[in-house]
Amino acid sequence: MTTTQPAPTGQVVPLVEVTIDGVRTEVPKGTLVIRAAEDIGIAIPRFCDHPLLKPAGACRQCLVEVATPDREGTLRTMPKPQASCTLEVSPGMVVSTQLTSEVADKAQHGVMEFLLINHPLDCPICDKGGECPLQNQAMAHGRATTRFVDVKRTYPKPLAISTQILLDRERCILCQRCTRFSDEIAGDPFIELQMRGARQQIGTFDSGVLGFAGDAPVGAAELDDSGRPFASYFSGNTIQICPVGALTSAAYRFRARPFDLVSVPSIAEHDACGAAIRIDHRRGVVLRRLAGDDPAVNEEWISDKDRFAFRWQVAADRLVAPLVRDGEDGSGPLVETSWADALDVAATLLAQRRGSLAALPGGRGTLEDALAWSAFTRVVLGTNDVDFRSRAYGGAEEADHLAARVAGSGLDVTYADLDGADVLLAGLEPEEEAATIFLRLRKGVLAARTHVTVLGPYLTRGSAKLRATLLPAAPGTEAEVLEATDTFGASDGDRPRIVLVGERLAAAPGGLTAAAALAERTGARLAWVPRRAGDRAAVEAGLLPILLPGGRPVADESARAEVAAAWGVTPPAAPGRDLAGILDALRAGELAGVVVGGVELEDLPDPAAALAALEAVRAAGGVVVSLEVRRSAITELADVVLPVAPPAEKAGTFLTWEGRPRAFAAVFDTAALGDAAVLGLLAEEIGTPLPDASMPAWRGQRVAAARLDAPAPPEPGPGQAVLATWRLLLDAGRGQDDEPHLAGTARRAVALMAESTARGLGLQGAAEVTVRGPRGSVTLPLVLAGVVDGVVWLPFSPRERAGAAALGAQSGDIVEVTA
Amino acid sequence: MSESSERAGGQPEEKRRGLGGAIGDLLAPVAGFGVTFSNMFRPTVTEQYPYVRHPTAPRYHGRHQLNRYPDGLEKCIGCELCAWACPADAIFVEGADNTPENQHSPGERYGAVYQINYLRCIFCGLCIEACPTRALTMGNDFELAGPTREGLIFTKEELLAPLTQGMLGVPHPMVEGTTDRDYYRGEVTGPTADQIAWVERERPEDPTLEGARQAAATKAVR
Amino acid sequence: MVGIEEKAPGFALGTIGDLVGLARKASMWPVTMGLACCAIEMMATGGARFDISRFGMEVFRASPRHADLMIVSGRLSQKMAPVVRQVYDQMSDPKWVISMGACASSGGMFNNYAIVQGCDHIVPVDIYLPGCPPRPEMLLHAILELHKQVQSTPLGLNREKAARAAEAAALAAVPTHAQKGLLA
Repeated sequence: MTTTQPAPTGQVVPLVEVTIDGVRTEVPKGTLVIRAAEDIGIAIPRFCDHPLLKPAGACRQCLVEVATPDREGTLRTMPKPQASCTLEVSPGMVVSTQLTSEVADKAQHGVMEFLLINHPLDCPICDKGGECPLQNQAMAHGRATTRFVDVKRTYPKPLAISTQILLDRERCILCQRCTRFSDEIAGDPFIELQMRGARQQIGTFDSGVLGFAGDAPVGAAELDDSGRPFASYFSGNTIQICPVGALTSAAYRFRARPFDLVSVPSIAEHDACGAAIRIDHRRGVVLRRLAGDDPAVNEEWISDKDRFAFRWQVAADRLVAPLVRDGEDGSGPLVETSWADALDVAATLLAQRRGSLAALPGGRGTLEDALAWSAFTRVVLGTNDVDFRSRAYGGAEEADHLAARVAGSGLDVTYADLDGADVLLAGLEPEEEAATIFLRLRKGVLAARTHVTVLGPYLTRGSAKLRATLLPAAPGTEAEVLEATDTFGASDGDRPRIVLVGERLAAAPGGLTAAAALAERTGARLAWVPRRAGDRAAVEAGLLPILLPGGRPVADESARAEVAAAWGVTPPAAPGRDLAGILDALRAGELAGVVVGGVELEDLPDPAAALAALEAVRAAGGVVVSLEVRRSAITELADVVLPVAPPAEKAGTFLTWEGRPRAFAAVFDTAALGDAAVLGLLAEEIGTPLPDASMPAWRGQRVAAARLDAPAPPEPGPGQAVLATWRLLLDAGRGQDDEPHLAGTARRAVALMAESTARGLGLQGAAEVTVRGPRGSVTLPLVLAGVVDGVVWLPFSPRERAGAAALGAQSGDIVEVTA
Repeated sequence: MSESSERAGGQPEEKRRGLGGAIGDLLAPVAGFGVTFSNMFRPTVTEQYPYVRHPTAPRYHGRHQLNRYPDGLEKCIGCELCAWACPADAIFVEGADNTPENQHSPGERYGAVYQINYLRCIFCGLCIEACPTRALTMGNDFELAGPTREGLIFTKEELLAPLTQGMLGVPHPMVEGTTDRDYYRGEVTGPTADQIAWVERERPEDPTLEGARQAAATKAVR
Repeated sequence: MVGIEEKAPGFALGTIGDLVGLARKASMWPVTMGLACCAIEMMATGGARFDISRFGMEVFRASPRHADLMIVSGRLSQKMAPVVRQVYDQMSDPKWVISMGACASSGGMFNNYAIVQGCDHIVPVDIYLPGCPPRPEMLLHAILELHKQVQSTPLGLNREKAARAAEAAALAAVPTHAQKGLLA
């Protein structure tokens, strides 16, 4: 368990001797009495105390009798029992808990009786019933019968404080864990204590409850641009830490009871952070996910996406049986068939075209899957035409960067390093793209151990919560700005420096080169933060046209020889095509087929062109084999579709952005097969069994990262602006399908630009703007913000309406903006 | 025979058995048949099931039933305590929200899915003891055999007690001004005019309306 | 004269199937297959009070060759499973199986490594009988249900048709690995 105030590094903390229930113990100075008791195995009941939150002393359940020596050294008992969760140990302190002191025991009984006075007797229908600290402690420390004969205080229930979070004020015991979490950890203090005395309650800043006029809160809360009440990406954590059933989840409401659930530890699949989660399932159905406890990674917190978005794995469009084309010539509609038949058809089609095939494995797989894809491409397809980067950006510069600095580099920068460093974020918006990084940075920032500098077009709310310094850069000018930067951070080099580059930096030509150069200049360590759970594993497995497993360059003969020795098959020597090259070659007929793994057309640089390329290859007698969990646009273009298992139905290992392996077990034992198993079967069917592709990291010469000079930044003309966009945490992604309650907590889709830009475009006073790109236009409400001049920011693909994805333009492209 | 009598002669305690020797052996089967013969004059114990059915003991643990309150609302609140108590894991419950448009039981929650797998159930009655609203009780019906496993998983429709005369079909709102506690205390004795009006508005074809109207009228007269 | 059906006509009309069904159901001999506590109730069913000789089945045969009904009475352990299957295989056709009690039908409360979770994993079951253990009346009820089934068993072409229909229904059913809820 983490202590509330970790000792500053490098300082020796003096030990203090205390006696608790007659047991003498020595604990570091500053330790709370309740923790000191925990250390020697004495459990003091508590509700408001949480090791990761600041002490509050709100519930008074942890009362103990305390005696301290006075100046003469004689023990003097404090006149009243003390709350052990707010009291620090002092030398010679003698503590008597409920186990040895009648006073403490009676005090705790009294507090419990008070807590239960207004608590409703609805345990049978409460979602917390069965895992409720209040229920447990009422059984252990409460009275068997009530002495309260009056009418209980009631409120209408439940109160939806967001679409996802329901508040039941009757059950609340005012421990303030939720408000403290929102304020201290997430930085979204949208719920707070209101009223006084018996009517004190938790609530959102509701003008009706607070009794002030106007719709804006007077408190220190920041309203986000959605204007919604409890709009926090971390709101689900308040449900988990609520010691009673006052905060419950709308999605899980009344779905199951805790004693019915089977819990399996697992790893979240929505981002590259590898947050530990706990999956609770019952009779073949996942019912909820909770944060796991992993101090090295996510502590005890996860984002709402990791918590609530899991029904995509069993969506109605989930593929359960392999599909092949009907008819003799394989031109008919897709029909379900047996695995044996589908593998036979796929093997025949692929074997005929061996040597002119490519693979697009996607970036959502486990390390095992990525290694299988790597071996399958090299051994069975006989090519290096493979690229996991199914996204709009990422060319040769990124591939070089990954090969030179990321692949095979092992665990370098870790979460622990982020707490206590000067950090530069380039092409990364941690609250939206890597929530666990955001929380770790914020922890360091609040403790004044970390300073964050953000390279981006504007200071987002997430960055503001990190108290970040903005390095303003219009999209396309990131390289220029990074080159002009000599230092960053606030500590003059006392603290280690870290540069975190997000995968989006690859969209800016020269950006990665400039970031690497800056890191070298400032002595910073460099880490690459991808967006998807499988991206880092794909890099390690060599799912790039220039890379073999373990960071071995394709072009290096000794590296190939090592691979040949391990696999028994020599990998092809010529570097392959990247994503754009593969799509071009498919369109031009240079490739006769492609094996696709879970790629969404919408993610590709030009979905229409990608669609045309796949249609072209099929029209020319080529083959498209697709490995998918759910039906997608690619399914309709495939000759053979092989269903693969979602994370809940397979075991595997995700690699976090740090390179930390995060192994997880299958939740369900179903008939679904993971990518690795399917590729293994397919390879056997073709007659070339897959070798075990895992290899130790390469020790030899690495790919030399090409030094790319930044091109001239885009110059918007009149009526134009430079587009800035990225994906938000909650958007139209297919991983969040079937989650209406979660979707309601997403940020409102708005277009952001500076007032000066709006004036220049003649948009003064416009409520909405229309942004036009090569493929379409979107109209969104206009919000003026401190965005870099000449830049318009749009969300990439919000769920409620079209975003930048509909424009056909990327970050850094020029778009037309009209009222 | 001669061998055995010789042996009998050699063992004096055998002689004390009765008539002894050859005569005893001769009469032994007669004694056996005597038992058979004497039973012919005793009353027949054979139960003529299935033609004559003897009633079970009154508290026999038979098939389950999900009960209703007098106004027709279900007693089950979907709390799953029965499922928790079940040693054989034979009960599956899933709760759901009672909404004003879809009120099945008093209070916030009702059992939307209720299944008992009679092929796991051991009729121990722990579920009955666990039920906080006395929604689940056991009847005396035991004729449950069936040809499929699926068919012996009884769903809520099969388990729910039929609406008796005067009850109003669910969903319908609670009696106005009452809480789930009033229902539990037995303060609701039948459907009210408001509830009947609600069902008339929402489901004019509901077959239970007529009986409910009569019940409400009788109560009003009283 | 009202209602010829009230008078015994002296002859009966019916299909061969009916006749065969009548013969089969009225002379069913169970094999001695007591596995656990349910067997006590099964023995009671054979005794004087419940007396299954009323249905022509008083002789529990010790040899499967003489029997055509197997009452799997009691929890079926993994060790016993091959024996039960062998006994079933040694019975002569046509043969039927009643799965008596919760344990034989689904494993009952013994959801563990030692117990086969339903004897239908190893033998085809015609009638499942709940109860722990079922009282003799319940077993009689199951036997009578089986009699009804046997009586209406189709013969010849009809039998093939019924088998094909059953096969189609089984193919259309939810596969075991996809079953949720209580079947999972």
